[in-house]
Amino acid sequence: MPNDRLNEADYVRPVRRLVLGVLIVVFGALFLLWRIDSPRVERFRTAFVDAVVPNMDWAMAPVTRASRMIEDFRSYARIYEQNQELRRELQQMRAWREAALQLEQRNAQLLDLAQVRLDPQLTHVTGVVMADAGSPYRKSVLINVGARDGIVDGWAVMDGLGMAGRIAGVGQRSSRVILLTDSNSRVPVSLQPSGQRALLSGDNGPVPVLEFIESPDDVRPGDRVVSASDGGVFPPGLLVGEVVQGTDRRLRVRLAADYGRLDFLRVLRSRPAERIEHSGSLLRPVDATGMPLDPETGAPAGQIQPAPLHDDPPTPGADNE
Amino acid sequence: MTIRPHPALTMNDALRFDTLAFLALYLLIAAASLFLRLLPLDLTGTGWPGPDLLLCLTMGWLLRRPAHLPAPVIAGVFLVEDLLTLRPPGLWALLVLGGTEFLRRRQSVVREINLALEWTMVAGVIVAMTLANRLVLAIVMVPQPPLDLSLMKLAFTLAAYPVVVLVLHFVLRVRKPATGEVDDLGRKL
Repeated sequence: MPNDRLNEADYVRPVRRLVLGVLIVVFGALFLLWRIDSPRVERFRTAFVDAVVPNMDWAMAPVTRASRMIEDFRSYARIYEQNQELRRELQQMRAWREAALQLEQRNAQLLDLAQVRLDPQLTHVTGVVMADAGSPYRKSVLINVGARDGIVDGWAVMDGLGMAGRIAGVGQRSSRVILLTDSNSRVPVSLQPSGQRALLSGDNGPVPVLEFIESPDDVRPGDRVVSASDGGVFPPGLLVGEVVQGTDRRLRVRLAADYGRLDFLRVLRSRPAERIEHSGSLLRPVDATGMPLDPETGAPAGQIQPAPLHDDPPTPGADNE
Repeated sequence: MTIRPHPALTMNDALRFDTLAFLALYLLIAAASLFLRLLPLDLTGTGWPGPDLLLCLTMGWLLRRPAHLPAPVIAGVFLVEDLLTLRPPGLWALLVLGGTEFLRRRQSVVREINLALEWTMVAGVIVAMTLANRLVLAIVMVPQPPLDLSLMKLAFTLAAYPVVVLVLHFVLRVRKPATGEVDDLGRKL
């Protein structure tokens, strides 16, 4: 075909061939070099990409943002689908929750049948609710056991499932139980998985408020709430309920005790825990008047300071003086 | 008003203004294609390899106006593509260079035949390039993409060629020179 070379000058063809040959040699050599000494060529490639790609950042940012917006829009389009899916899952979860609640109840009943005591020190007196001291501002009930049965003020009261309140006022044959929902009720509790202490304070509503949580971020709705023995008021470990979050974003407790059917209440006889107040009586025996005794001789050792502050230990010979 | 180069400049026909403009357009399209491939989005999303549109564009363009695309430009574009898309550097660029030069030699033949025959010819060249690529990679024992994926990519590329040619013809106005068409200097194309 002579006519397709008409426009070319005489020198063009050899130059073109030369360039082509050089390119072919260079590319072949580059490929072989990459095959032989891959790390060096890969480093070159990395440097090249490094030099080129960040320069396109300004162009990439709007495009990626636009694509993300498109992605978001797509997810909006799928929102109905997602909603359906979540509903289905929620339904399943409800079924599970129901099953769990029933198991919890059954467990409590079985524990009751077997008369499992939460604490060997703990025995209980069961009373019948005589009256529901119904006023909008007082949530309390009267039960038919009293001082005659050895009820003492402050003892914890449970129904079959969980803690219901505490004794506040003991008569000869009856006593008053102030429920956890009463606005005067303040009960120390412990939140189960996180182990945090809080105060359960009633507000006359059905779900009392959790106050003074150390770090509310660690508490999630659904956590178990059990009683704590802070202040020596209650035996620890009684089930109180589970944490829920109210519409006002405060953490509240849905009580395990069934307040709708308070027929029988169980008053737990809790022995007050022994208080340790004299550190010296732990370290050495004391006599009846509280005087520290010498552990070796049993003689009163009044003149000896209980906690020597200096470094050298007191010698036994000095004690006998 | 059309911009006409000064008569003194027209001695060097490789630097004609419209040639340079079309070359710039080609480079722009190549850059955009690479850029889109580098974007952190998955446009395909299906895991299927897309067609090699840049190769189709290069070949279709070359068969229409070979003067627009000098061999070093094609080689440079595909070497950059090699480097950016983490292929073995140089091999595919070398093969593209060989294929395009093969087509460039036969440009005067392709000018006379219709699109179907041209498509067949280009398909043969691309298949040969792909085979050579796999063969060389197998010889030097470089791990390769799976065969089915590269066959799929080949099929997509071949299927995309007529579409790219139509775009070239109607959108970019890169057409085969008609019989008797002359360039700015009045010479036959």
